[in-house]
Amino acid sequence: MARYAADYSLPHQLYGCVKYADYPHAEILNIDISEALKINGVEAVLTYKDVPGENRFGLIPNIRILADDRTRYLGDAVALIAARTIEIAKQAARHISIKYHKLPDVIDPRESLKEETIKIHEEGNLVVHHKVLKGDIARGFKQSVHVIEQDFSTPAIEHAYLEPEAALAYPDEQDGIAVIGCLQNIYTSHKVIAAALNLPLAKVKIIQSTMGGSFGGKDEASTLVAARAALLAVKTKRPVKIVNSREDSMIQSYKRHPYYLNYRWGCDQDGRLLAMQHDIIADSGAYCSMTPFVTWRSVVQAAGPYRCPNVKTDVRGVYTNNNYTGAMRGFGSPQVNVAIEIMMDKIAEKTNKSPLEIRLLNGFGDGAVTATGQKLSHDVSLKQVLTIAAEKSDFENKWRQNRSKENQSAPVSKGIGLSCSYRGVSLGAEGVDAASAVVHVQPDGSINVSSGIIDMGQGAQTALAQIAAEVLGVSMKRMRFLEPDTTRVADSGPTVASRGTIMGGGAVKIAAEKVAELIKEILAEKHKIRKESLLLKNEKIETKSGKRVCTFTDAVKLCYAKGTPLFANGVRYIAETDWNEKTGRGNAYFTYVYGANVAEVEVDRETGKVNVTRFISVHDVGKAINKSMVEGQIYGGIAMGTGYAIMESFIQESGMAKTINFDEYYIPTALDVPQMESFIVENPDKHGPFGAKSIGEPALEIVAPTIINAIFNATGKHIYNLPASLEEVLLGKKLRRDVERGSLSCKPEV
Amino acid sequence: MVFHQPGNLDEVLKLIHNLAPSCRVIAGGTDLLVSIRQKDNEWPEHLINLADLKEIKQIHETEEEIIIGAAMSHDEIVNHPLIKNHIPLLAEASRQIGSQQVRNRGTIGGNICNASPCADAVTALIALNADLEVCSVNEILRVSLKDFYLKPYQTILKPNEILTMIRIKKLQKGTGYSFIKLGRRNAVAISRINVAAVISKSKTGVIKTAALAAGSVFPVWKRIWLAERELIGKTVAESLFMEAGKITAREMIEKTGRRWSTPYKEPVVATLVKRALLQASGLLLE
Ligand SMILES: Cc1cc2nc3c(=O)[nH]c(=O)nc-3n(C[C@H](O)[C@H](O)[C@H](O)COP(=O)(O)OP(=O)(O)OC[C@H]3O[C@@H](n4cnc5c(N)ncnc54)[C@H](O)[C@@H]3O)c2cc1C
Repeated sequence: MARYAADYSLPHQLYGCVKYADYPHAEILNIDISEALKINGVEAVLTYKDVPGENRFGLIPNIRILADDRTRYLGDAVALIAARTIEIAKQAARHISIKYHKLPDVIDPRESLKEETIKIHEEGNLVVHHKVLKGDIARGFKQSVHVIEQDFSTPAIEHAYLEPEAALAYPDEQDGIAVIGCLQNIYTSHKVIAAALNLPLAKVKIIQSTMGGSFGGKDEASTLVAARAALLAVKTKRPVKIVNSREDSMIQSYKRHPYYLNYRWGCDQDGRLLAMQHDIIADSGAYCSMTPFVTWRSVVQAAGPYRCPNVKTDVRGVYTNNNYTGAMRGFGSPQVNVAIEIMMDKIAEKTNKSPLEIRLLNGFGDGAVTATGQKLSHDVSLKQVLTIAAEKSDFENKWRQNRSKENQSAPVSKGIGLSCSYRGVSLGAEGVDAASAVVHVQPDGSINVSSGIIDMGQGAQTALAQIAAEVLGVSMKRMRFLEPDTTRVADSGPTVASRGTIMGGGAVKIAAEKVAELIKEILAEKHKIRKESLLLKNEKIETKSGKRVCTFTDAVKLCYAKGTPLFANGVRYIAETDWNEKTGRGNAYFTYVYGANVAEVEVDRETGKVNVTRFISVHDVGKAINKSMVEGQIYGGIAMGTGYAIMESFIQESGMAKTINFDEYYIPTALDVPQMESFIVENPDKHGPFGAKSIGEPALEIVAPTIINAIFNATGKHIYNLPASLEEVLLGKKLRRDVERGSLSCKPEV
Repeated sequence: MVFHQPGNLDEVLKLIHNLAPSCRVIAGGTDLLVSIRQKDNEWPEHLINLADLKEIKQIHETEEEIIIGAAMSHDEIVNHPLIKNHIPLLAEASRQIGSQQVRNRGTIGGNICNASPCADAVTALIALNADLEVCSVNEILRVSLKDFYLKPYQTILKPNEILTMIRIKKLQKGTGYSFIKLGRRNAVAISRINVAAVISKSKTGVIKTAALAAGSVFPVWKRIWLAERELIGKTVAESLFMEAGKITAREMIEKTGRRWSTPYKEPVVATLVKRALLQASGLLLE
């Protein structure tokens, strides 16, 4: 039975909670904890002064475990409490009084970089500015017959993992500390927690519990919960458990970056792109989580999978006093894809082409050169996936029919939309790309596989175990995947960027091959045959000519009898990327994947209600290690992307989160998800195990623009500001609640 | 907090008589428990459970009326033959509440007494002209549902009273009805707007009676008399129904003033009233 972090308990454990910031932006003058400490049952109250080591961490280390100089968003923790019950802890939080000097809030990221705007961090409000420059943009526009310019915006959204953050920290028997948590990147958490406690890494052990979803969300947000529990455990010398409620989770955790995008494209008479200029602002919120990397993926992919001689892209990440923003499935691509794919439909409209024609005209083929100057050397299957998506959905016919006056003026209009994308696989030039795995065949022939790649529900354990089983020629019955802990498996980097299978799987394959090699050596020696002639297949060891040597189990027994334990470590490291940050040029990723989506919608033109009725998703995954898991990713991506397209928005007013539980933060239910079909294309890639690439993020990243383009086909009106809510579709704008809550404040009847 | 599980209605009434105002009754708990949690777990001193009280967990009929016990769950109402046969409008509204889980627990009495302006069953019941039976140790009162509300989240119930029965006249054969719910998604969604319509017309299509109600539109529940008056005596037609919709929208602005949501609600209320009338009069299927 699965055990989640919140399911773990220990004798004598205490319960922890945080005292939240009272203002989104204020200097902290004084924190008085004396009243809180007097409460019976309170065992510890900590402020930043009690952190023995590093209180700050992150890519740019400005995320505070406990707010020190200032509060920067309302999810900041100013103090930590450990008490005998959670109720006592919360009561204590109410008795902490803090003196502040209130500062102006920076809410709109577009204001953040202005001269007169207050600086949220010492180094200023600019987190990062990435550029890509190709050709001569001015000349490109001069040559253009049509120039289209458009502003877009995409909202902050919540990951909405089913399991909120939780951790149990406890002092171990050797002056160390152990933390059980639901952590997406245990290796980062490990370093942050050890640094905060001022302990060597070897004295801190991070144990991964079964995870109830993450979607990129359980990085810093979960590390903070784990680090806070660890601080309290060290202070009280007792186990301390922190379990976030849904509201805690929504208030504290980072969101998807909201983007403000200005796109300006020029093309010739026929719609061939000649110039693409993109100016993008990303709201990093209060701190720097993954902003430099998220916006880097945006800058690399901002021009989409389209050929164009002249490209200029600027992406700036900026601080505000909103919730900080970080990794979320898609990681900087869903935002730009919205703009790219709507722009593409606008170009099509301008040049009297269908959405399919315009994409086939401009799309990458084999050997294409990207905006960053990378020549693509793998199978570029963009046109293949586009064609399949269009054929399976009868796109061209339906698209033409829907454009009739009759359809577009009916109360409920039908629409069909298309989009496509390419996506760099794994981390790319963001960082060192390596992963480790251990394959351990036990003396009875059962097999443990572990890897630093985390299973968050996506099925990494199954896929990785399958790869080991395939190499060892045995059935999945033998396999047991172990949750990793930091003392057992070496740093595998983060489980992000759709790199679980390609990198973790690659590592497992190497480890399993080493084990297979050991088995072959022992058998070759015993039977006096060349080890090269041996095969591991169908639970047996055979020679290439088909002669059976022995069963797998007997082979294992023999190895152990000969003093050869079957244990191996595998490391997959890929270093084929390079990047020049100054010029914005380079080989950004070692390989790419291609996908195309088609959506069908019904738009109620009198209420603005959009129903997504059918969805077709085509992806080149290199090789599907497990077909149903690939399909699972695709279906989940469609559901999640439907939310991004038509209903999700994490609403903050003056830094105050308004949608902090699922009564107000709407995600699609089963009845909102369209009928879905997936088509898997396989063009194996030399980098992946058995040719596998990735699917987790590709499955999501173009769902929203596909739906938005379908709305255009139905109504003749483009949506530029996500989500396509009732108001956005009907009125072309969002309406903001300016009072407490509609029903509470409406005028009583006389 | 003390939890009470009374065995019959009399015990309930005695308990609340003695414990009011430091007690609350709980039926399905789908509104009450949420609101307690929202108020930092401020529990009432006494919680009195209404679930499983036979007297108010049944549906029966008289010649003219269907009588529904307040503790009937939405799911029980949706599937009850008496409701399906005689007041299918209520079944339709109840069917669209929350999700299956919420309909299993949530009750019609809770929906009425919680007094939220967007309660789905209440819109239907207002259009059906429902009456309520309110009970205390001293007396049983019969009040009209339309007189039951003072303002959002507030009813005329006194601390020692509970709602026991909902009485609804059976719909005559040939009466048309419609319930339309508009939410931000297709399930587990609070109504942005809901509309219920009941119409009877002559063979030639002249409207004889009309009842209209809308949720999340007015601060206090009411029939939309002005719109109804516009309809009676006229022949069914889309233009007439649109006019009724516009009257409803004007009424809304008159009663609530122009609010943040008005630019959206004004045209959409009008449209939904029109659609409900089209459906109820058989001009539009679905
Ligand atoms: C996820 C979710 C989705 C929902 N979706 C919808 C929806 O789509 N449409 C909708 O209309 N509602 C919805 N609701 C609200 C709620 O489910 C309904 O209002 C339901 O009918 C309430 O009934 P209950 O029995 O659960 O009430 P309870 O929570 O038990 O009680 C509600 C209130 O009424 C009082 N009360 C209950 N019964 C009586 C009685 N007989 N006499 C006097 N007072 C009484 C209680 O003291 C309390 O104040 C939803 C709720 C949730 C949690």
